[in-house]
Parts: sequence; structure tokens; C-alpha cells
Amino acid sequence: MQVYLPIAEMSVDALLLLGIGFGVGWLSGLFGVGGGFLLTPILILIGIPAPVAVASGANQTLGASVSGLIAQWRRGNVDARMGSVLLVGGLVGSALGVQLFALLRRLGQVDLAVAIFYVVVLGTVGMLMVRESVRAIWRRRRSGGTATKAHEHTWLHGLPFKVRFRKSRLYISVVPPLLVGFGIGVLSAVMGVGGGFMLVPAMIYLLGMPTSVVIGTSLFQVVFVSANVTLLQAWQVGSVDIVLTLLLLAGGVAGAQFGAAMGTKLRGEETRALLGLLVLAVALSLGWDLVRVPESLFTIGPAR
Amino acid sequence: MRRLLAALLLLLLALPAAAQQPTTPQLAADLSTDRVEISTGFTGSSVMVFGATERLIGPETGDDIVVVAWGPPQPTVVRRKVNVIGFWVNGPAATFPDIPGFYAIAATRPVWQTLPEDVRQAARLGLASLPLRATGSQGPAFRAALLDLKQQDGRWQEYAAPITVAGGRLFSARIAFPDTVQTGDYRIEVLLVREQRIVARQELFLRVDRVGTAASIAQVARVQPLVYGVVCILLAALAGWLGSIIFRRS
Repeated sequence: MQVYLPIAEMSVDALLLLGIGFGVGWLSGLFGVGGGFLLTPILILIGIPAPVAVASGANQTLGASVSGLIAQWRRGNVDARMGSVLLVGGLVGSALGVQLFALLRRLGQVDLAVAIFYVVVLGTVGMLMVRESVRAIWRRRRSGGTATKAHEHTWLHGLPFKVRFRKSRLYISVVPPLLVGFGIGVLSAVMGVGGGFMLVPAMIYLLGMPTSVVIGTSLFQVVFVSANVTLLQAWQVGSVDIVLTLLLLAGGVAGAQFGAAMGTKLRGEETRALLGLLVLAVALSLGWDLVRVPESLFTIGPAR
Repeated sequence: MRRLLAALLLLLLALPAAAQQPTTPQLAADLSTDRVEISTGFTGSSVMVFGATERLIGPETGDDIVVVAWGPPQPTVVRRKVNVIGFWVNGPAATFPDIPGFYAIAATRPVWQTLPEDVRQAARLGLASLPLRATGSQGPAFRAALLDLKQQDGRWQEYAAPITVAGGRLFSARIAFPDTVQTGDYRIEVLLVREQRIVARQELFLRVDRVGTAASIAQVARVQPLVYGVVCILLAALAGWLGSIIFRRS
């Protein structure tokens, strides 16, 4: 069943989009991440123009994260104060990111920039995740229990503007969370991802937040930043395709529930290792596309 | 289709009568529709150009029919990928500021057999006769790539569909629009060629429009981008929330 996408100005098989949404939703439910990092490259692969894929990917991430945020909020797992600080950084970062995106589009380098961002960010994050989880699995095998790291004091704790985050049981400067939020905001705008897969490790390892509030607080940030990206992309680039978004969401929310049910059966370290491998695989395949000899040396596009 | 048949019949009936008058038109043509609608289920469309001539068409009489369809101008960039330290990146680009977004030519015989070059150039018949002026990078490779890629996605067509002739005088040709077709006003020229000259021509007009949901979405997104952005946010949030309720497995 073909459906015409009014902003992408092309027709795509609706069942294909539902299937992609379901598959990505299933994986995101399984691993507890938004799945935007998988969705955007797949959309580009099936021929959706990169600007539309990025903008609609951000919009889809928003929808996919809303229900998770509501559930976490009800359980009291959201540190609203920390979320707000992250969000301030995130809003500034995503606003700048959209300007960067518009500039890249004028220069005709959107595809390249998106690909490079993906390869670098996913490659780094994937490698870190695999390394960390393999270590954790190894440690568990050897000692029979999980070793907990003592709370370390680093230079981060010497920064000014300290604020008490009661839910996170932290008394730290607002500078690191602002910077983390900013960085994720930029990436969110350029890559069309929510950034949960980067935000969660950053909150645990950089900010030292307790795991119980990490997922809820990251969802808080992801929902509002992706809403900001959607708004700015729609306003300045004009590339959000709501038909595409809704089709992906319809498959995605269904898949996420099945994935989440399965995710509870997997151990934390194994899940993280699998997710790390998946992230690495996406990075490698995008990297390969950059270095292999292209089928056609020329591309055409509308002049703006 | 019924409308088309009726029109063809009318033409047939009108022909003998018309032939006796001295001011009889040498060529009469029309379109099966003057409007192509892009709806939510749009996967491409086609329009039938049909008509009749006073004299017989074919190699015996030397009369030929040429049908050319023009879309609105669509400035296009052709980019060449270059290898920079192992990576393939978009390098030099050529911009073609005024080329038609859609161009299709169909003829009973290819125009290079029936018309001299200066006529083809003046009337812009055939892809080789399109003036492809570029700004930015020059060079025949960019033009060749443009011609090649535009033909691949079906937006430029050269003799992609035949003109069928019935009874020696009734002709019809189908112009196919791909799903990537632009909206706007399209012009269709029907030419009667005889002895290396264009002896009669008729211009027909066609409008390609978005209709229904697709039209309103594109309209709102263009005219009220902020409102559209807010609606996208709300719709996505609502869909995500509703979906999690419907598919909840507790």
C-alpha cells in the first residue's frame, strides 16, 4: 500500500514504514533507548531525503519517548531539577544545531555531515559500551558479584554554581549538566536522535547520578529537546513530514511494548553489550558507505 | 476513459465535415484531463494526449506528430563526489537555474529524422536541444549526469512511450508522471511535422495540484511553519501516548 509523503514529495510503501517502525520500536523497547540512531540511517537508506529523515526522526523520537516519560514520572523516577538544567543546555544546543544544519544544507553537505556525525558518535559510544559491559561481565564471572565503584571526587566537583539535586542525591555545579545537555542538543538536531544512548552513560559516569533516576530524567530531556528540534526544523528547514512520523510511530509504539517485555528477561550487562554491538554495526556500515567507491559519482538535487 | 472515447468519436464524426471547409484545421488535439491530483495515495499518474489530423499520418504522406510536455522550471544542482583522503564527499557543483522540472517528448518518428537541427533547437525538441546553461562548475560531465539522472527518475523522458495512430489520422500518446512530479502548470505542445517543417501546432495546458490531506499538510507547513511544528509535536506526543495505552502488555 503506497502512501504519498507530502513534505518528502514522494510515495513510499506504508507497510514498509510500519515494519521499520515496529523493528526499531522493538529494539528500543528491548534496550530502553529511543532508537533514533537506527531510524534516521534506515530512512535515508530507503531513499528519504536526509533533511526529512533527520527532522521526522526527531519528531518520531518525541512520540516514542512520551509514554516512557509518563510512566517514569508516575513512579517518581524523574529528577525534574536536574532535567531542567540539562534541558536549558539542550534547548540552546539544539537551537544552534538546527542553525548548523541549515548552513550545511545550503552548502550541500548535509548527507556527509550526518554520516560523519553518525560514524564518530556511534563508533565512540558503541566502543565504550562494549568495553564497559564486557569488563562488567568479566568482573562478575571472576568475583561472583558486582563490584560497586566508590564515589570519586574529580575536578568536576571544584566548579562554581553548586546546586543541590535532591532526587539524584547530588550537590554539584550546574556547569557539567549544562554542557552535557548542550552537547546532546547539538547532536539531536544534526542526527535526528533523542540522544538517550549518549545521555544515559554521561549521567552515570560524568555526573554520578544514581541509576534509578537516570532513565526517567534522560527521557525528560529527550522529550523536550526533540520537541524543540521538531519545532525549529519545521520552522526553519521545513522538513518535518508528519505522515512519515505517524506511520513510524504506529509501528514503533507497538514494537516497543513487545521489546520491553523481552528486555526484562535479559541481564543488564548483556543488554548493554548487545546494544553496544548494534551501535557499532550501524557506525561501521555508515563508515563503509563513506569510503567505498560510490555507484554514481554524480547526484542531483533541487537548488535552493 | 468514457470521456476520452466520446471525444474521439466526436472528432471522427467531425472530420469529414471539417475536411470540406477551406479553413479546416490541419491538427486538433486535447487532453484526457486538464488536472492531475496528488492525493495521499498518489503513486504517479498519466495523461492521454489525443487528436486527429486532416491528412494521413505516416511514412507514406511524410506527416509526423510530435508531443512535448513541459513542467514548471526547477533549478537543479548537480554535485560530483570527490575522494578526499579516502572519503567520498560532495565536491564541485553545477547549478542549472532554468531547466524544466519535467520534460517528455514523444513522436511518431524521432525528431532528428524529421526536422533539421535549427528547428529542433528553436522549438527545443529532444533532450539534446534543451539549453542546459550552468553556473558554477562547467563541463560536459555535469550535463551528461543531469540528463542521465533526470531520465533515470522518470522526470525527463525521450520517446519513453509511443504515439499510436489509428485509422491513419487519430493519434494518442500517454504522458506518465512519476510520484516525484512537481506541482504547477504544465504545457503540452502537439506539433504536426511535414517536409522538415512544423506546419501546425497546438498548445494544451495541464495543472498538477495536491488535493485533500496531502495538500493541506504541505500548505500549512509552507505558510504557517510554526503552527505546523506545534501540531507535529502535539500529534506525535498524542500518538505515542495513545499507542502505549493500546499496546500495553501488563
